[in-house]
Amino acid sequence: MDNLKEDLKKQIIEQLNLEDITPADIADDALLFNDSGLGLDSIDALELIVLLEKYHGIQVTNPDEGKDAFKTINTMAAYVQKRKG
Amino acid sequence: MAYISAASTISHQPTFKNAGFSALLEVLGESSALINPEYKEYIDAGLLRRMSKILRMSVACAKECIQQAEIEQPGAIIVGTGLGCLLDTEKFLNNSITIEGLLPPTSFIQSTHNTMGGQISLSIGNHGYNMTHTQNTLSFEHALQDAMLLLAEGEENILVGAADEHIEFLSEVAHRLHVYQEKQLTSGASFFVVSNEKTSGSLAKISDAQSWGLVSNVEDATAKFLKDNNVDLKALDLILYAGNLSEFAEIDTEKCIDYTDFSGIYPTASSFALHYAVDSIAQNKPIRNVLIYNALIKNNLGLMLVQSLEA
Repeated sequence: MDNLKEDLKKQIIEQLNLEDITPADIADDALLFNDSGLGLDSIDALELIVLLEKYHGIQVTNPDEGKDAFKTINTMAAYVQKRKG
Repeated sequence: MAYISAASTISHQPTFKNAGFSALLEVLGESSALINPEYKEYIDAGLLRRMSKILRMSVACAKECIQQAEIEQPGAIIVGTGLGCLLDTEKFLNNSITIEGLLPPTSFIQSTHNTMGGQISLSIGNHGYNMTHTQNTLSFEHALQDAMLLLAEGEENILVGAADEHIEFLSEVAHRLHVYQEKQLTSGASFFVVSNEKTSGSLAKISDAQSWGLVSNVEDATAKFLKDNNVDLKALDLILYAGNLSEFAEIDTEKCIDYTDFSGIYPTASSFALHYAVDSIAQNKPIRNVLIYNALIKNNLGLMLVQSLEA
């Protein structure tokens, strides 16, 4: 699980071109779409959907699922694990 | 008539925030590179990470102009671009032929020609007229004419400019661009604040700007342009040109400078020439009348008459 979280952080940094941010700067429970966390926006949400398909082969077809899954690194990792079954 | 109250350029020359740069220009060499300012001083880090070269240049120049002109908001934002956001266009097209499944949206969203105007508007919270003109090497002249029409209708403080960016692919197809000379292909952005009233901050005035597609006789067109503005060819102190001046029999070649020697070649390099003219007038008082002659592509002709405030 820890490896998955680390991978997700690296993938997010690359996909969203987060300059000056390292995986260590992203706390597992930091809110991704809040200014106290990464301050991501709606375009980033679309990029995260692409990321899950590109790196993990997961298609997010239900918008409500994505809303919960993309809250934090913890929720993303749990979502990936659940979908991969 | 348009009074210029601010000008900002990012180019391969030390143009940005550097009044008097026109005396420091050097002919571009193979090793010359774009001189980038510290973009974080102008653009929020959250937006900057998504922006390609052309967007960074455009937004930084636009914000610098607004600071220089000491205005809160321009009445309109008008941009000229010959080839638009090439980096994002290339990225999006490459994604679409190499990625199976969902495509990343950012490069698609930012690949359109009007992204510069949109990003400038978003970054300063402007809700006014927002227009992008793309007419190959005459894109900037068209944008400027649009701005001058708005000024004539009473609009004040218009932000007008142009930008183009170089990608490696352009060098591969350079022979198909039909530019007059083979010189270094470059990137550049120049923005200006123009107003219909002369103020204490005015730097120079654009008395006229015109453009012709499929021009048949450049000498006749230029002669008529000057005559319409009551300026004799001999009264010009400086002619900044791109293209070929050999058709002009009575021209004083000592007054002529090929601005693409300094800007390199990009479709809207005439906007660099406008800043060059403004800086020359502001720094060198004997210069009163400057003609910018843009024949970068043989069939296209753009002319701008830039004059000192006293002329």
